[in-house]
Parts: sequence; C-alpha cells; structure tokens
Amino acid sequence: MRSGELAVLLLLPIAMINTIGFILPVLNLARLSFNKVSLGGGIENVFTWENWFGLLTDSFYLELVFNSVWISLAITLTTLVVSYPIALYLHRSSGPWRTFLTVLVISPLLTSAVVRTYGWIAILIDDGPVVSAIRALGLPVPSLMFNIKGVFIGLTEILMPYMILALMAGFGRLDPRVEEAARTLGATPARTFSKVILPLTLPGIALGCLLCFVLAVSSFITPKLMGGGRVFLLATEIYDQAIVTLNWPLASTLSILVLIVFGAALWAYSVVLRRLD
Amino acid sequence: MPVSQSAEEHLKLDGISVSFGAVNVIPSLDLSVCKGEMVALLGPSGCGKTTTLRMIAGLISPSSGRILVGGRNITRLPIHDRDMGMVFQSYALFPHMDVLRNVQFGLQMRNVSKQDIEQRSKEALELVQLGQLAQRKPKELSGGQQQRVALARALVIQPSILLLDEPLSNLDAKLRDEMRLQIRALQQQSGITAVFVTHDQVEALSMCDRVVVMRNGRIEQFGTPTEIYERPATAFVANFVGRTNRLKGTVGSDGRLSAAGQPLRATAKLLPGPVDVLVRPHRIALKPSNGLAAAGDGNVVEGTMSGIIFIGDLVQYIVRAGGAEIVVEEATRRERPSLGVGDKVQLTWSPDDTLVYPDDDK
Repeated sequence: MRSGELAVLLLLPIAMINTIGFILPVLNLARLSFNKVSLGGGIENVFTWENWFGLLTDSFYLELVFNSVWISLAITLTTLVVSYPIALYLHRSSGPWRTFLTVLVISPLLTSAVVRTYGWIAILIDDGPVVSAIRALGLPVPSLMFNIKGVFIGLTEILMPYMILALMAGFGRLDPRVEEAARTLGATPARTFSKVILPLTLPGIALGCLLCFVLAVSSFITPKLMGGGRVFLLATEIYDQAIVTLNWPLASTLSILVLIVFGAALWAYSVVLRRLD
Repeated sequence: MPVSQSAEEHLKLDGISVSFGAVNVIPSLDLSVCKGEMVALLGPSGCGKTTTLRMIAGLISPSSGRILVGGRNITRLPIHDRDMGMVFQSYALFPHMDVLRNVQFGLQMRNVSKQDIEQRSKEALELVQLGQLAQRKPKELSGGQQQRVALARALVIQPSILLLDEPLSNLDAKLRDEMRLQIRALQQQSGITAVFVTHDQVEALSMCDRVVVMRNGRIEQFGTPTEIYERPATAFVANFVGRTNRLKGTVGSDGRLSAAGQPLRATAKLLPGPVDVLVRPHRIALKPSNGLAAAGDGNVVEGTMSGIIFIGDLVQYIVRAGGAEIVVEEATRRERPSLGVGDKVQLTWSPDDTLVYPDDDK
C-alpha cells in the first residue's frame, strides 16, 4: 500500500465522524433557516427568505448581533490585558514553581462553568461581599449583578485560563537572549517590551483572542444566569427562540449568523498571522 | 601581538564576587583590560567566564566589588545605560525585524537622527559585507551571515566595550577560521576594547592580545598567548592550553627530579615532594634507539613504540617508557624513516621544555 493510500485510509474515520456529526447538521441548520414556522411550533417545509429578511430589517436583531460582537470583543480585550502578565510570568518561571502555577491556572477548567457562574453570583450580588465592601468604604454602590457588568466580570474570569494557555502556547519565539540583546543595545525595559516582547508574542495574542472571542460569542450559561434575563446576546436569544418560542427556523438563522461571525473572526486571525510571518 | 606601551586601563573589575543563591560562583575577581586590546576569558564550562562577561554587560549583578569603565563606576548602572555591544552565542537577532532594522535598533534606542541612522547602519552592513542582504529576515540567513549581522549590530552603536560570548561556537570549522580573522580585523580597525569568552584555546591564543585562563571562578593566569603557552603558571593552565604529556614524578631532598623511572632535568627551581612533570608532545624529538646514552644536558628517555596515529599534518607516536605513556607529535614529512610498533626508540627534549608543578590531583 502506498503511503498516500494509507493516509487516506487513516483519515477516513475522522472524516466520516466530521461529516455525520458536524457538516450534515450544519447543512440541516442552513436548510431550516429557509423554512417557515407554523403556529404551535411546527415547521413548514417550504423555501422562504422570510427569516433572513426579517432578521436583517429588524433593529432588535441587528442590535443583538452588534451588541454580542462588541461585548465579546471588549471581554476578549479585558481578558487579554489581565491574562498577559500572568502568562509572561508563567513562561519565565521554571521548575516545580512553574508546575504549581500552571496547575493553578488550569484548575478552574476542572469546575463546570455553571458552578463558577453561581460562585460569581454569590460574590457580586447586592449585599454580597464586594458590594458590602464598597458600601463600607462610603463609595457609591454599583449594581454588579443581573446586568451587563456581572456578565462582563464573570465571563472575563471564566475565559482567563483559555487565554493564558493560548498565550503561553504562542510565546515560543520569546527568547530571553533576544530581550537581553535589546537591553544591551540601549532599550529601557519599557521599550524592550514594546519593540521586542510584544511583537514576538503577537502570534500568541492572536490565538488567545480568537479562542476567547469565539467562546464569548457562543457563551450561554454565564450571560443567561448572570444577566438575569436583561442581557440579550446571540446565544441566549438562540436558546429562547429554539426552546421557549419554538421558532426553530429563526433560531437556525441566528445560528448561521453566529457561524458567519466566527468565519469573519477566523479570517481576521489568518490575515493577522500572515502579516506577522 | 604586543599591547602598545602607552596602553591605558579601560575596564577594571575590582574585587568582584558573584553568588547564585547559596552557590558562590565567583569568589573574588580582579581584572584589568587596557584600551583597544582584546582579552580572552578562557576556561572549561562552569569556570565563571560567561558569568563574568554577563556581569560586565549588567545582565548579572555582582554581590560585591566594583566594575569601572574608563575610571567610572558602572556597577549599579542599568543595562541600557552601560554602552556595551554584546554578541551572543545564539546571535539573538530580533526575528521579527529584517537585517537593516536589527542593525538600526541600537541607534534608534539612542535617539540618533534619522539621517545618521541610515548612514551608520549602511556603513556597518558594508563593513561585514552584508549590504545586499539588508532586507532579509534573520531566519533567511546562514549561521555565518547571522553572526555578521550580530557583529554589525553590536559595533554600529560604537560601544565603549565589545563583549563576545562564544560567538564562533555555532559555526562549522572552516567558517570559524574565516570569522576569527574577520572579528579580529574589525576589532583592530575600530580600536575597540573587547572581551571574548571562549572555551576554545585556539581562538583565545590566535585572536587575543591577552588571555585570562579561569577555573572555578578564579583566574589561574593572565598573560599574553605566548606566556600562557610557554610559561603556564599552573599545571591546570598547561593541561588546558595546548596538548601536553603529564608524568607523575618526585623531587628528592637533594633537588633531583625523576619521572617515568628516569632522572630528568628542568630549568625551573624545584621544591622537594611529589610533582607533575609536563612536556608538550611536539617539543620531544624521537629517533630509533642506538643503545647509546646520548651526550649533552638534555633529557633522554628510552622507550618502546606502542602506537602510531596518523592525523594528516601530524603524526602522533605513543611511546611506553618506565611505566608511563608519552605522546610525541611530529609534522609529517615524506622522508621520515619508518618506525613501527614495538621498535625501541629514544626521546629527547630540552630542560627548558620540562614544566614542573607541585602534585595537583584536582
């Protein structure tokens, strides 16, 4: 058997699983988005642009898409800013200390997002420790729960392990000798960071941002629980349409829209990577 | 290559000690380098030579002592204010910048005017003959080309001292010879003071004005290449620099030296006790034994040929004599009378070439 044939044979199982488990359902989803919903939740197997026209002309849905993308971008950026120093420190540490810290970073992933979300609710709720502390200091008391602020804080923390791991994976080009070279050539620590460290870690930054953006757009449990029904994002709306309103064609249309957003994110990522190389 | 007589002190390490945690890497080091000279720090790995270089650059802080450059104390000066040009073993070029921007980096950090940056970086690249590769990325260059970029990048800022950390160890042998000449030529052209870390004695001896031989964080000897080679201060230096035969011997209470079961003569003054006797392989003459004791005041040792190794430009003869094995090296010649294994041979060498040190079992 030639090696090419062997490769095809070895790839066959995963290709089949992907076809049955991913490509067919997505095609089915695309087909559903052109169907019509009847009263009572039935699906009429007709071809119509109704869902798409309705979506693209309804200011509620346009705002929903815009908000989801914008909030996800903001959360991604915040996650990046708070994760970067941790990732850099981890990258530079060594030995048992590094192992310990890495386990510490990964450990939140061992807990379900539901549990972590409830944890945040307990912390951020009115009369919770954070709000009480702010009140005790005599500062104006913010409402941190069941609004976009709570979702923002919770999602940022939940996404941090992913961001840190992605950043570390992308820090391969960061050679301590190169930083030293910059320092001996007269660069202050700040300029070494902006001219050498930051450019060399851009692949990691791009990867982490792509991953966290996709996770943020598709996050459902945290916005659902921490938003208190007042935060409308794409994922929560898809859930409502599919489960509450039983409008599967509209839910499908929104899902395809999310896929288009992901496609755009992937395209942006590949453009960034190509420019970096 | 003697140092000019008017040489003034440029770099001074004064009572430097370095500790990593509980480990005292450098107990106490004093070193003085003259302006415009190139000094090699030579020693086996772990001897503290790289630590010393990194300390001069500011990448490591000494636990005590002072570093002076041109009389100015720079011990506590941050790295970026030290004005050192450093060439790293791995070259440490900026992978995200092309060759030209690598070379310009140091000038940009010094806020040199745009016009000067253009001009000086161009000149520096011409100096290392890389003008035509200015737009390439480091990964598109060969090892030797990367090395030259690193050199240009360090020299273009006209640093007060050039620091070279094993710059040639990642190059193949032929290229290493070329770069040796080129680095030395560039250093002499620019008249820059340079410190060169290496574990390769050939590099140290052939390129540098003076050589520091280090062991365990201490200086064993500091001298010109000739001094280091001809008059090694310790058995360690003699062993580390150049090839040598090492014979166990003793000096009797009457001051007579013997080794390999034979009386020997040495020029140096001898103290009674166990000693190491060192003789360079190529300073020993070898001829077929005629059964007669040779006349004169040279050292004569009779032995049996036990091995011949042909290297090309050299032949090594291994001779067993009085329980010891002595290696003799000769340049190959066409008319060499044939000697075979098992032949009786006679070795002779001058008392001047007999180096004697107190027994050093370290």
